[in-house]
Amino acid sequence: MDTASPLLAVKPLIAVQNLHLTLPGPAGPVNILADLSFSVGSGEAIAIIGPSGSGKTSLLMVLAGLERATAGSIHIAGQDLSTLDEDQLARFRRTHVGIVFQAFHLIPGMTALENVMVPLELAGRRDAESTARAALAAVGLSHRLNQLPATLSGGEQQRTALARAIAPRPTLILADEPTGNLDRNAGSTVIDLLFSLHRETSSTLLLITHDPSLATRCNRTLTLEDGHLAHPAPA
Amino acid sequence: MTDTTEEDRGTPSPWTFFLAVRLARRGLRTGARGLWVALACLALGVAAIAGISSLRASLAQGLVQSGRQVLGGDLEVSTGELPIPASLKEWFTKRGAQVSEVVLMHAMLIAPSGQRELISLKAVDSHWPLVGAAHFTPALRVRQTLEGNGLAAAPLVLAQLGLHVGERVTLGRVPFVLRAALVSAPDQVATPALLGPPVLIGLGALPRTRLVVPGSLVRYALRVALPAGANEAATRAALAQDFPDAGWEIRDTSQAAPGLQRFLDRAGLFMTLVALTALLVGGIGVVGGIGAWAEARLPTIAVLRALGASSRLMALVLGLQVLALSAIGIVVGVGAGAALAAGIVFFFGADLPVPSRPGLYPGPLALATCFGFATALLCMIWPIVRAARVPGAALFRVPLVPTRRRLSPGPMIVPMLVSVALVGILLALAVAGTGSERFVLLFAAAASVSLVAMALAGHGLMRLAAGLAPKARTRWLRLGLADLHRPGAATVLMVVSVGLGLATLGAIALIEGNLNAELRDEMPARGPSFYFIDIQNDEIGRFAALMRRLPGVEAYSQVPMLRARVAAIDGVPVARVRASHETRWALNQDLGLTYAARPPPGNQITQGRWWPADYQGPPLLSLDARLASGWGVRVGGNLTLNVLGRPLTFRIASLRDIPWQRLGLNFFLVASPGLLSGAPHTHIATVRAAPPEQAAILRAVTDTFPNVSAIAVADVIAAVAKIFSQLAAALAALAGMALMAGMLVLAGAVAAEGRRRIRQAVILKTLGATRAQIRAAWLVGFGAQGMVAGVIAALVATGASFGVVRYLMGGRWVFLPVPLAAMVGGAILLLLIAGYAGTGAALRAKAAPWLRNE
Repeated sequence: MDTASPLLAVKPLIAVQNLHLTLPGPAGPVNILADLSFSVGSGEAIAIIGPSGSGKTSLLMVLAGLERATAGSIHIAGQDLSTLDEDQLARFRRTHVGIVFQAFHLIPGMTALENVMVPLELAGRRDAESTARAALAAVGLSHRLNQLPATLSGGEQQRTALARAIAPRPTLILADEPTGNLDRNAGSTVIDLLFSLHRETSSTLLLITHDPSLATRCNRTLTLEDGHLAHPAPA
Repeated sequence: MTDTTEEDRGTPSPWTFFLAVRLARRGLRTGARGLWVALACLALGVAAIAGISSLRASLAQGLVQSGRQVLGGDLEVSTGELPIPASLKEWFTKRGAQVSEVVLMHAMLIAPSGQRELISLKAVDSHWPLVGAAHFTPALRVRQTLEGNGLAAAPLVLAQLGLHVGERVTLGRVPFVLRAALVSAPDQVATPALLGPPVLIGLGALPRTRLVVPGSLVRYALRVALPAGANEAATRAALAQDFPDAGWEIRDTSQAAPGLQRFLDRAGLFMTLVALTALLVGGIGVVGGIGAWAEARLPTIAVLRALGASSRLMALVLGLQVLALSAIGIVVGVGAGAALAAGIVFFFGADLPVPSRPGLYPGPLALATCFGFATALLCMIWPIVRAARVPGAALFRVPLVPTRRRLSPGPMIVPMLVSVALVGILLALAVAGTGSERFVLLFAAAASVSLVAMALAGHGLMRLAAGLAPKARTRWLRLGLADLHRPGAATVLMVVSVGLGLATLGAIALIEGNLNAELRDEMPARGPSFYFIDIQNDEIGRFAALMRRLPGVEAYSQVPMLRARVAAIDGVPVARVRASHETRWALNQDLGLTYAARPPPGNQITQGRWWPADYQGPPLLSLDARLASGWGVRVGGNLTLNVLGRPLTFRIASLRDIPWQRLGLNFFLVASPGLLSGAPHTHIATVRAAPPEQAAILRAVTDTFPNVSAIAVADVIAAVAKIFSQLAAALAALAGMALMAGMLVLAGAVAAEGRRRIRQAVILKTLGATRAQIRAAWLVGFGAQGMVAGVIAALVATGASFGVVRYLMGGRWVFLPVPLAAMVGGAILLLLIAGYAGTGAALRAKAAPWLRNE
């Protein structure tokens, strides 16, 4: 159920208007997202739900600037994403967006600390190491700094990924089923951390999930069906 | 607004570079996994270049270091066929120099048995050798050996004529005593014994032989050992000033063996070109290897891109990683090349034509290193540009279409410009390595055409397989053909890598086969059996009469023979003439000169006109067209020749193409009759005779005319064929490295398909296929690739051999089916063996674990 948020009165962090995404497929173009319009206020936590293939991940990619919309406009933090080229989008992500993947996507050759340092280093932060240490401490991994991902448990890997996402203090955190590859206990720890960090950093959270109980922890829910918003979200 | 870092402001900054170094270093913790084949290919190509360049350097250095010994002094002044004037000796001795006079010519040595042999005769004075020492068996001194009518001959002479020390032999009209075998002489390298092994006599004995008569093909030389502190160049300059019109040939230690140096240069050039082929084939492996390596890193690249890394930063990271790993391959290659050269010098030094100096030569190793890095950069640029542009979105799902098409095109101009620049650098390095722009450009053109032809053949095979697979009668044939054209199949890579290596080896085999056919079959069949030289003017009538009388003489011809040295071209002294590298040698030595009323048979006039048969005007000259082109002289220009010490100026009336391979009586310089007819000169004659009669003809001529020397064409051809055979063996060994690089690429391609093959085998086994059936299907694919690689390699080798034999060597090309058939058969066998060996693991894989994990 979509829940109206009191935060909507605040200036929106994300403004999406008539968003379309069509991708080429083996049998011709495939419409992934169709005519989506919604906005998200700064500091909100939004759950994105919907059946497999409904376009949840594609929406996340478009919001992260990893995929270009076919039509429509996306403004995040006042920046029109359609005006940015590939490398400008990459720079935009460095400082504004933190992403948590279902499959963690840690870099195998780097330690936990180095993985967390990467976005900070890319942003040219001279305090990359100390900030990364603090982020890992925040997710309870101070004792695992120099471990390679392969030596970490699934939960520890996802906590490392979480630390990597929040370390640069992004305004927007995008999480794609962050507990999808974890057991119940580990998943619960990660989610608690995610919401706790979201509150502490006052960042905006967009969370893809299949778990209805998780969705209820968010301010409101966007439901996608076949690339459409099932219930029009309040602007 | 997005935040910007130092990286974002224009060109890459030190900050970007250090960040890239940091990320690259972290990424290299997994080592060179997946890049070993590429590194091995690179190492092999670099080793070939480093090896051959080092070997060339050690030979060149050997020649330089032994230059004084090989030359026989610090300077050699040759007065040609004129005796050394006393004034010249005095000039040097007044300056405190030591001098030694040497006379060189060819002659016939007759054993007591009546057997006779052409020898290279060297008459030396008591000061010889000025540098180094001669060694005889038994161990005598030079003076002891040569005093009176003493003679020393190379061991080969003793063996061929069945001679023993102490026996009497005849030279010219005089008996000599064979006092010793000449084991080694310090200046022996400078006078290779292609026209007879060396024989040594005393200078005082030479006049008694009566071999030297006006016009004889004799060379007088004065070897000079300068006093300590004297400068070679200053001495040469002073000599030229004091004897301005002498026209002598003066050589210093850097020109100790110009003929040998030319041979080594040319042999080294071809070897370097073959080594470049090994690098080219290795480069194909490097491209494929880096491509596969970068593809395996796409997930990491996508993560970094999703975290905000720009494609430029990613390209820099990947580039640094590949360069760091390439450095390992290059260092290994350079080390292996240096070791290879040292090994050749160590084990085969005695068989090399010059005393070589083993050692580490920084120049050649630096050249090979530059080749390695330029190749690595060129090979990595496109796979890396492609990989660096992988979008972060690739992390989220399986691509709807293949990754290649999903890459954003991005600006291609920079990688294209860098690629062009790298190709230019590689060409410049090749020119530096070979010293010939012409050959490098020809090689580059031939290599490009070959690569395109092989790639087209590979694509053709894929299309053919796609068309034939549905129509195949058996499912195994269908499966094998389908394997060839599935997306991502390595068909083109395999055909190109194996085909190119095989084509190089095949081209060398075909060129050698053609040369052998020309030398052993065609030349003896068409050419003369003997050249008779030094026939005196007053002997030529009797000589011709003897030839008419002797049974077995099938053809006979004769021409007057003089020697001339070019003194000036269009009035410009030769020292100031800017001749091409290929024709410079002809300005530094005596050339054969004849006169004739009609053009020599087989010669084609390419420019100008031949003079009338009864021409009586000012002296005219017909010149070899290639020399004229290299010297920049045209019809109507003047050539001043030093003939018998006199400068004579000729107007160039015509230029000719000369068919040297016919072994006829051909001369670079042909003058109009008249002026030269009255000059002292000899004649040269060719005789063609059936083999059974040849010994009798030789005996009759040398008995009747002791001063006449006979050059048996068959012996010379055998000697030349031996040299070519040794050169071809060295080239084939280098081409073997190119084929080895091709095999590495092949092994890498088979290994890269391992996982796919295991999956395919597991599924087929699940469906009831036996291992033999699966293997048969796969071998269909390997066999087809081998056949196409073999056929295209045979075509390329045929084309290359035709071009080299017909246009570079000016010879007649013949079709040689046996090496071509061997090439096709070899390629099929090679691929089948590689396929059999490379798919064993896939066939042995158990189905259950794989199915569980899938």
